[in-house]
Amino acid sequence: MSDPVIALRGVGKRYTKYEDQPSLVTSLAHIGRRSRRHKLWALRNVDLEVGSGECVGVIGRNGSGKSTMLQMLAGVTMPTEGTVRVRGRIAPLVAVGVGFHPELTGRENVYLNGTILGLTRPQIEERFDDIVAFAEVADFIDTPVKFYSSGMFVRLGFAVAIHTEPDILLVDEVLAVGDFAFQMKCFDRMQQIREQGTTVLVVTHNLNSVRAMCDRVALLHRGQLVYTGDPGEAISRYHTIMGEHRELERELDTTSGAWSPGVASIDSLEVLRPDGAETGMVGTGDELLVRVEGTVLSAMRDPVLGVAVTAANGALAYADTSFGRPSGEFAPGDRFTGEVRIRAKLVTGSFSLVVTLRSSNLDTLYDRAGPRTFWVGGRRLATGISDMEADFRLQRLPGTAAGTGVAAAAETEPTGA
Amino acid sequence: MAAAAPGTTPANVPELLLDGRAEPMGRYLRALWDSRQLVATLARKDFFVRYRRASLGVLWAVGLPLLQALVFTVIFTHVIKIRTGSSSYGAFVFAGMVPWSYFASTVSGASSAVVDGSSMASRIYFPRAVLPLVPVVANLYSLCITVTILLVLCLVLGVHLGLALLLLPPAALLVAVLAASLAMVNSALHVYFRDMKFLVQAVFAVWIYVTPVIYPLRLAPASLRTALQCNPMTGIVEMFRAATVGADPGWQVSLAATGVAMVVLVALALFLHRRYDRLFTDLL
Repeated sequence: MSDPVIALRGVGKRYTKYEDQPSLVTSLAHIGRRSRRHKLWALRNVDLEVGSGECVGVIGRNGSGKSTMLQMLAGVTMPTEGTVRVRGRIAPLVAVGVGFHPELTGRENVYLNGTILGLTRPQIEERFDDIVAFAEVADFIDTPVKFYSSGMFVRLGFAVAIHTEPDILLVDEVLAVGDFAFQMKCFDRMQQIREQGTTVLVVTHNLNSVRAMCDRVALLHRGQLVYTGDPGEAISRYHTIMGEHRELERELDTTSGAWSPGVASIDSLEVLRPDGAETGMVGTGDELLVRVEGTVLSAMRDPVLGVAVTAANGALAYADTSFGRPSGEFAPGDRFTGEVRIRAKLVTGSFSLVVTLRSSNLDTLYDRAGPRTFWVGGRRLATGISDMEADFRLQRLPGTAAGTGVAAAAETEPTGA
Repeated sequence: MAAAAPGTTPANVPELLLDGRAEPMGRYLRALWDSRQLVATLARKDFFVRYRRASLGVLWAVGLPLLQALVFTVIFTHVIKIRTGSSSYGAFVFAGMVPWSYFASTVSGASSAVVDGSSMASRIYFPRAVLPLVPVVANLYSLCITVTILLVLCLVLGVHLGLALLLLPPAALLVAVLAASLAMVNSALHVYFRDMKFLVQAVFAVWIYVTPVIYPLRLAPASLRTALQCNPMTGIVEMFRAATVGADPGWQVSLAATGVAMVVLVALALFLHRRYDRLFTDLL
């Protein structure tokens, strides 16, 4: 990359976190002394270059430094060390609708927002119709935006930002809002402006869009850039990080019943591809091998292995147990292993998996492991939980339209995939 | 260094370079100048949104100062009688209130502007000085209205208006620049010291009485008069009077203090905002 549009070199950002807000009195009282404060590096040693027309995703857990990085690229905050260089007109597409005033009409807000984003009045006038058409709010353009649905609000904000014709578009979580149809429209539009050479930087939790759009993905973890490169690999590493840190957020159905620690403990949980490679990522329909190892603490008979998979929204996707398949006697001190093979007939998205060990009648929970998050990369546009492998056919029946039917039908005859 | 205005790099590509240092003053001033349309747009929005939901709308912007003018006229001609020379005392007080109200409401509102605008400012870059400058410009609409009411009041009360009216535009400019510089300084300090907001209120509660707004300067004891003339608002208030109802001879002396204060405040305002422009966000 000879001439990067965005270049971060050795960038670090340190925040001073006061235990309480400094006031005039406490500051005067503490002159010459170090007051109670912590220094916190939100970013450290970050090097990243983005070339013209590239689309780069930035992912990471909350607090990993994503927002700080975006703020620096937007020019809102200064790095504490290192340099940030951005060449070209930047349009931050962040928390769309920032600067919108609820009492103002859609029209007035377009002018206001356009000006905030650096457009001149004639430029806004010239693009006004396109903006309104793109946002699909023509009927409400003279209504105060406080009466807008959240979808309309987002659409109008996105429409203004995208019509500033930036060299660099900074996108923050925007695709998480708005209805599905509009997300697709934004997605198409972003592909389109990328073809015109616009550089796009996406910061998001929505791994779907990152995977679909980005050429490269940067993974931030605790303020460090731990990986930059292939989106699939970055997402896989992200899930590894998430799995290590996620706490037991909710009790799944499969884990109800009495908890009886001290009978057996699961010491390790691995989610593997059938060939034995560890993975945080599988394709729809791929087989997953879930393997646990543990120690028996007191005698048990015919314990039952269970597995449960939940979708990112908490919905239970699948749960099953080995109930009814006797596993024999286990003595204290024995080691045991358990394996479950499952097939990921799931749509694209993030899922988590829990493994349990229970008594033979399922009443008592001995131990559980997980949740372990994994990513399923499937057919891009399908949503829900289960991939039912829809096969669509839609065509117009020839000769059924009035008048010009035959000619029109001939024109719209499907040309095949 | 930081954001450049279009045209400062070859091929007209704006370039942003952040290396932890504040950008050169020339570049900063240029960025500020390039934000003038933003200030104007935000100011227009500010002023009109204020009256958006009231059924009488912008009429309130005229009605309230008009009421104040009437009250002054009635109170100071029929209730409290102070000798001020030829003109009506009501017009005299109102002429002082016009720049004072503009100054006080602008500075107290703008002092928290950077903090108040944080939701926008933490996401989109523009010079942060834009935020305190918006009320400075927005309140110019009100200033135009009150000046018009002042002129009408003078005509009604039989005050002779002459060539001195030409002093009004420079007087308005002076009060706007003084308000702008003080607003910029306060809004920068307010990010670090949230007490500023209340401190400003306290100062203004006292400041009006050490400014000859409701009394003529020559009624002040001679020992205090020099001190009052060091108040930068004294010169401005007197200039508004000189343009309309007439000021005491020698009022121009007070303008020297205004000038000195303005130079100091403008320098301080630019220093603070250039230095902390991209650091304010960290404390919001």
